[in-house]
Amino acid sequence: MNRFAKYIAFTGCLALLLSFTGKHPQEPHVVTLRFHSVIGNHSLELGRSYVNALGDTIAVQRFKYYVSNIIITDAVGKDVYLFPRRYYLVDAEDSASQSIQLKIPALPLKQVRFTLGVDSIRNVSGVQTGALDPLHGMFWTWNSGYIMAKLEGVSSSAHVPGQRFTYHVGGFKAADNTARVITLDLPPGTAPVDEINIAADINAWFKGGFLLKIGEHPICHSPGGLAVQIADNYKGMFSISSVR
Amino acid sequence: MRFCKTIWVVVLLLVTGIAWVAADNAYFRPRPVKFTVPAGWPQPVYDFKSNPLTQEGIALGRELFYDGRLSKDGNFSCGSCHQQFGAFDTYDHNLSHGFDNSFTTRNAPGLFNLAWQKEFMWDGGINHLDLQPLAPLTAPNEMAETLENVMAKLKADKKYRAMFKAAFGDETINTQRMNKAISQFVLTLVSSNSKYDKVKRGEASFILPEQLGYDIFKKKCNSCHTEPLFTDFSYRNTGLKADPYLNDVGRMKITGNPADSLKFRVPSLRNVARTFPYGHDGRFFSLSSVFEHYRNGMTVMHNTDSLLQHKLALSNFEIGQLTAFLYTLTDSSFLTNPRFAPPGSENIGKAPVDIHL
Repeated sequence: MNRFAKYIAFTGCLALLLSFTGKHPQEPHVVTLRFHSVIGNHSLELGRSYVNALGDTIAVQRFKYYVSNIIITDAVGKDVYLFPRRYYLVDAEDSASQSIQLKIPALPLKQVRFTLGVDSIRNVSGVQTGALDPLHGMFWTWNSGYIMAKLEGVSSSAHVPGQRFTYHVGGFKAADNTARVITLDLPPGTAPVDEINIAADINAWFKGGFLLKIGEHPICHSPGGLAVQIADNYKGMFSISSVR
Repeated sequence: MRFCKTIWVVVLLLVTGIAWVAADNAYFRPRPVKFTVPAGWPQPVYDFKSNPLTQEGIALGRELFYDGRLSKDGNFSCGSCHQQFGAFDTYDHNLSHGFDNSFTTRNAPGLFNLAWQKEFMWDGGINHLDLQPLAPLTAPNEMAETLENVMAKLKADKKYRAMFKAAFGDETINTQRMNKAISQFVLTLVSSNSKYDKVKRGEASFILPEQLGYDIFKKKCNSCHTEPLFTDFSYRNTGLKADPYLNDVGRMKITGNPADSLKFRVPSLRNVARTFPYGHDGRFFSLSSVFEHYRNGMTVMHNTDSLLQHKLALSNFEIGQLTAFLYTLTDSSFLTNPRFAPPGSENIGKAPVDIHL
């Protein structure tokens, strides 16, 4: 073997060795949070008419909200799996956005906690990227801040142009804060969890501590009292529908 | 021995390779630009660590600032309403022109010394300089474009891909990078070389009317138009009745607090001779009409500023001297600095002939 061939062989071995060290031993286990929209007992179909909890007929056209800072507790209820500073925009129009993959070992779990909305620090730190990019239409340009959740549609009760009710709920400053921490307990069990299905019930927007009558309030487009009342309502829209 | 030699050769090869890669990166790295705080000025509030100024970033920001394609019909760049010869306001316009023959609802403010400003717009609704461009870009009566379309236009342009790579290290184009680049450019718009500044630095001296005007200014104006930025960035009701066609409630729109009704940000007086018309809706076409408002025209309301509850007593003499002083705030080197002009063009910032007094 001549000298040149030896160099080649040596470098080749070195490269092979380096490529081995860069590899993960195995893919970690993933738990999927899957969000689906419902209205009462029905699965939500965009554009289709339903009667909401207050008796208003509505056809939802847009429904999206931020999910962030997810925390999952282990079987004894300790906060073990934290996903801080991760933001997801769940959009009823985009099925890919409705499942969130989290690297968590295959274990029984007790509770899911997350923020519906965006924490105040991201509201005052300039332009963000990814799910928080202002181009997703979830950011107020004239009064800086994220729209935490958005529900739009048509209703005969909405006495406004196009009969369109539009709820853009946002506000991050103390009294106007519309981000809400959601806590959901998983059904007790000892089996390792792969998938958590979460239902988001639009009825909760209308009927909670506050009765959101479309005829009275077809529009919410700024931080303030109405937005906070709607936020207190939508805090209750989630429930665990199944765990696998 | 042979084996040793082999190892040596491989190590040398590796070192050369790593050095080459490293040298290559350094060569293509954006070149940092130092932001200089004028002597005696407070520290800026802008967080330069999160967006360090670079030659490439500033150049990209300048390109974007003067690019009409950021608007829906290609006609309105940032620079079309923020003109250098008007200290980056819309010269001689109470309101600015926007998409489809529309008008804005407020007077375009001059752009300078933005690194010291925490909140933007007349009502302070925007809480970060990087966010500011989003408002005019998407407002239907300004540039009327969607961010998605702007991104698509920029991504389709080879020149922009190269400029984003030069400024940020790769060709990724997103809202954040676009706005950071625009911020970098507008942050360089520092106006600190007026006659007033030269006097402060001991390089010039006021003539008598300017000095008398300065003395009056310190007594009657300085508490809101605070030196050296000539604003304290507060929001105040200065007795301006709402225009019935605009119905602009000012700061109250942002806070929802009735006590903030008709409050607007105190504007800087730097380059004030060039930034006419004055007021949030540009209702005053001359300095003398502003003075007249303060001494006679004000509508004093329950939440009119406590300093102005009895209006502002000003004699004709005082107005004359104050005007002389305000003229010393014009920074001609800022107004004609070719680095702030549209890229590739000669600076056209010669003073327009008519001056409204």
